[in-house]
Amino acid sequence: MLNPALLAALGTILPTTSILTAAEDTRPYECDGLTLFRELPNAVLLPDNEAQVVAILKLCHAARVPVVARGAGTGLSGGALPDRNGVILSLTKFKRILAIDALARTATVQPGVRNLAISEAAAAFGLHYAPDPSSQIACTIGGNVAENSGGVHTLKYGLTLHNLRRVRAVLITGEVVEFGSEALDSPGYDLLALITGSEGLLAITTEVTVKLTPLPRDARCVLAAFDDVASLGTAVAAIIGAGIVPAGLEMMDRLTISAVEPFVHAGYPDDAEAILLCESDGAPEEVGEEIATVERLMKQSGATLIEVSRGEAQRRKFWSGRKAAFGAAGRISPDYYCIDGTIPRRMLGPVLQRIGELSLEFGLRCMNVFHAGDGNLHPLILYDANRPGDAEKTQAFGAKILELCVAVGGTITGEHGVGVEKIGDMCMQFAPAELECFLGVKRAFDPDALLNPGKAVPTLHRCAEMGRMHVHRGALPHPDLPRF
Amino acid sequence: MSVDAAARPDPGAVADLVARLCGAYGERAVTSRAVREHHSHGEGLSDPALPDIVVFPHSNDEVAAIVRLCHLARVPLIAFGVGTSLEGHVAALYGGVCVDLSQMNRVLEISVEDLDCRVQAGVTREQLDAELKGSGVFFPIDPGANATLGGMAATRASGTNAVRYGTMRENVLGLTVVSADGRIVRTGGRARKSSAGYDLTRLFVGAEGTLGVITEVQLRLYGVPEAIAAAVCQFPDLARAVNTVIAAMQHAIPVARIELLDEVQMDACIRHSKLEGFARRPTLFFEFHGSAAGVREQTEAMQAISDEFGGSAYQWATQPEDRLRLWRARHAAYYAALALRPGSMGLATDACVPISRLADCILETKADIERSGLIAPIVGHVGDGNFHLVVLFDPNDQAERGRAEALARGVSLRAIAMGGTCTGEHGIGWHKLDVLADEHGEAVDLMRAVKRALDPLNIMNPGKTVPL
Repeated sequence: MLNPALLAALGTILPTTSILTAAEDTRPYECDGLTLFRELPNAVLLPDNEAQVVAILKLCHAARVPVVARGAGTGLSGGALPDRNGVILSLTKFKRILAIDALARTATVQPGVRNLAISEAAAAFGLHYAPDPSSQIACTIGGNVAENSGGVHTLKYGLTLHNLRRVRAVLITGEVVEFGSEALDSPGYDLLALITGSEGLLAITTEVTVKLTPLPRDARCVLAAFDDVASLGTAVAAIIGAGIVPAGLEMMDRLTISAVEPFVHAGYPDDAEAILLCESDGAPEEVGEEIATVERLMKQSGATLIEVSRGEAQRRKFWSGRKAAFGAAGRISPDYYCIDGTIPRRMLGPVLQRIGELSLEFGLRCMNVFHAGDGNLHPLILYDANRPGDAEKTQAFGAKILELCVAVGGTITGEHGVGVEKIGDMCMQFAPAELECFLGVKRAFDPDALLNPGKAVPTLHRCAEMGRMHVHRGALPHPDLPRF
Repeated sequence: MSVDAAARPDPGAVADLVARLCGAYGERAVTSRAVREHHSHGEGLSDPALPDIVVFPHSNDEVAAIVRLCHLARVPLIAFGVGTSLEGHVAALYGGVCVDLSQMNRVLEISVEDLDCRVQAGVTREQLDAELKGSGVFFPIDPGANATLGGMAATRASGTNAVRYGTMRENVLGLTVVSADGRIVRTGGRARKSSAGYDLTRLFVGAEGTLGVITEVQLRLYGVPEAIAAAVCQFPDLARAVNTVIAAMQHAIPVARIELLDEVQMDACIRHSKLEGFARRPTLFFEFHGSAAGVREQTEAMQAISDEFGGSAYQWATQPEDRLRLWRARHAAYYAALALRPGSMGLATDACVPISRLADCILETKADIERSGLIAPIVGHVGDGNFHLVVLFDPNDQAERGRAEALARGVSLRAIAMGGTCTGEHGIGWHKLDVLADEHGEAVDLMRAVKRALDPLNIMNPGKTVPL
């Protein structure tokens, strides 16, 4: 229950319809896309302009009340999980596209604008916003900034960070700050990079200027089937090694195919062990040449079937299966848990084999989708929350997969962020000197730790308490591994 | 140069530290005036400030040990590559220890399969080029000078082909950094993506050595394009040349390089680099990368656009040595400009604006130059909206230096007013500290807070990048 005096003060900033406190109204905000963690919020605030955000933050700062920002709630690591003592600050009313500058190829939008809505608005100018998380029809650009979201086209067009020019945000003190600029570079420390992916711990975004990318004149997608994951891995290495940067390079395993195909009829072969989607975009001549090379490399690597999309409809169809993978998991299982780790691309075969073994050990099915180009693995563990013990087994299985990622030289999260989900795993990934840098940054922005507390960056104390920091005589486990 | 004398470290502490470093590093710790002089300034305006000692470490551990000593003694420390920065980044404003990383010059790993490499901070750009030769991959960032990769990371260097490949911001995958208290920190890494923790890599990239010392750099590499073609096109006036660039960006032609030289700069380059067969007119240098068909298509599209704006026929440089000559001439632009008026010094500006304002910005600037009566050639990576003036002045004429500084400041303020920046790629150092506040307002407070959090004693390259 929120302090009544604070609630009354909030009432002078927002209309009563924009302050939700009744359980039936706040229930939808108890979790984000990671439903394993839930907490009913004390209050949900729905401001619709920056002045209100400033006033709310000043009040909460003075009252020492935590603030958790929230966009569409599609996050997958519990970044928007409510704080027991705090309020939820929802930015869904910040829905306006403020400006599109076709010549400079930028769009300035409010944080509650949906990712796909930017591309739809820019299409009239032959432009689009390139990062395309699978949740793009729902997720907001503010959330994308907070999580540094990627998508299937990240390999060629980069993450959110690479497609941002400027972010306007409010600090916990109520001060409004602009990060970055409309131009290529911006002097001083790269605070724009710092704020991107900061999971709502540093500031609350109120306006975003993104780069727009010309729509490619031509795009074609190659679908290839493989009898074993190892030859698919060879194909990926051959394509990247040939200096090709495909617009997308995505892998799906047999279980994923069998879940997706009856659902979206993407045209995937049902007898393949795994399939690879490889897209090329650009000028028609270049696309033609690149596709021919890709086909040849796939054939050499042992692809059993190769099909090149004929026309835009078929290209979209090929991708529809990949984008619907999570939805399909929901169709074949009451619950699923999406893991997000990265591995060196060449480790794909051994890692998938080990995940298969773990799946048998835990008695839980696991679908695998993989951003093959960037080495970002998304195993989807299928479980039933109503079956006793399933949720616990799922978490243990997930933790094993992440340990495996770190052990082969990868990381604990490629794109979904740390949130509450992986805060313990951070102690495994980073050494104390690195964690102290993170904590120093946090202190510089939010010394009282009121913005999204308990997420993203663990305290050293917490790491020690969890016993997750196995530092022996100052040496880290796996010292030879590239730690990022 | 105004330096707060009170901020200088305790002379006793400095003397003690110098003695310790000499004891520990022998011949690799140098206090001779000539060497300290050499480490007292970069290029550009030389307002030298000498360090008390220059040390040449060989490993991460040695750098960490030196930083720990400085930390304990509260003595400033300045990281030094080869001293090609332009804004006074390496001047030892408060004396202290200069850590020269040029002997940490090993390429540690090249992975063609992963398209990345890891180098020590003292590896130079040309050295890396030589090591990568024949491997089928290359590192594209090319600021002109043969800088060290550590220095390029520290200053967030850019270059002629940023329009296609980005700047150091996009191409540094990870770093090894020695923190202000002498601990070795690893940021980023091989993973193409990671969303764990804050982006420390990019925080250190461009921090100009004020948050830590970069000792190793993980870089992104690219496949050598199947075909490369370079061309030169000349225009009747500056406006048409600039508008050609803007149209090219509009049509999203993926040019790898697109450089503008105004008629004054072209004149300077023709004389300095003995370029033959060109007129003293506003000129664009292009380079196209891709498959053979792709390059053909790009060049045809580009020619159609420049024809529209009255550009000359293209002069091609398809042989590697012809291309090299062309880009050498471009890279020597700064020296060529200085040679226009022997004995003069050059004040380089670094404006960068959104492409939609580029034509206005350059043409208004050109008018300013004409009004000023000064010689100031224009050259720029215009595909990014970034261009430079080299304003020439007589170092013995204070009044002329004043006029040169006024012209340069006017360019900076115009860029900022147009939604751009006064420092597209040269950084801030200490010469541009004053403009940072004009441009960044409240964000400067935050930068200060970050500096204090990561370097509470203010010993890492003090007096630079962020006004405290």
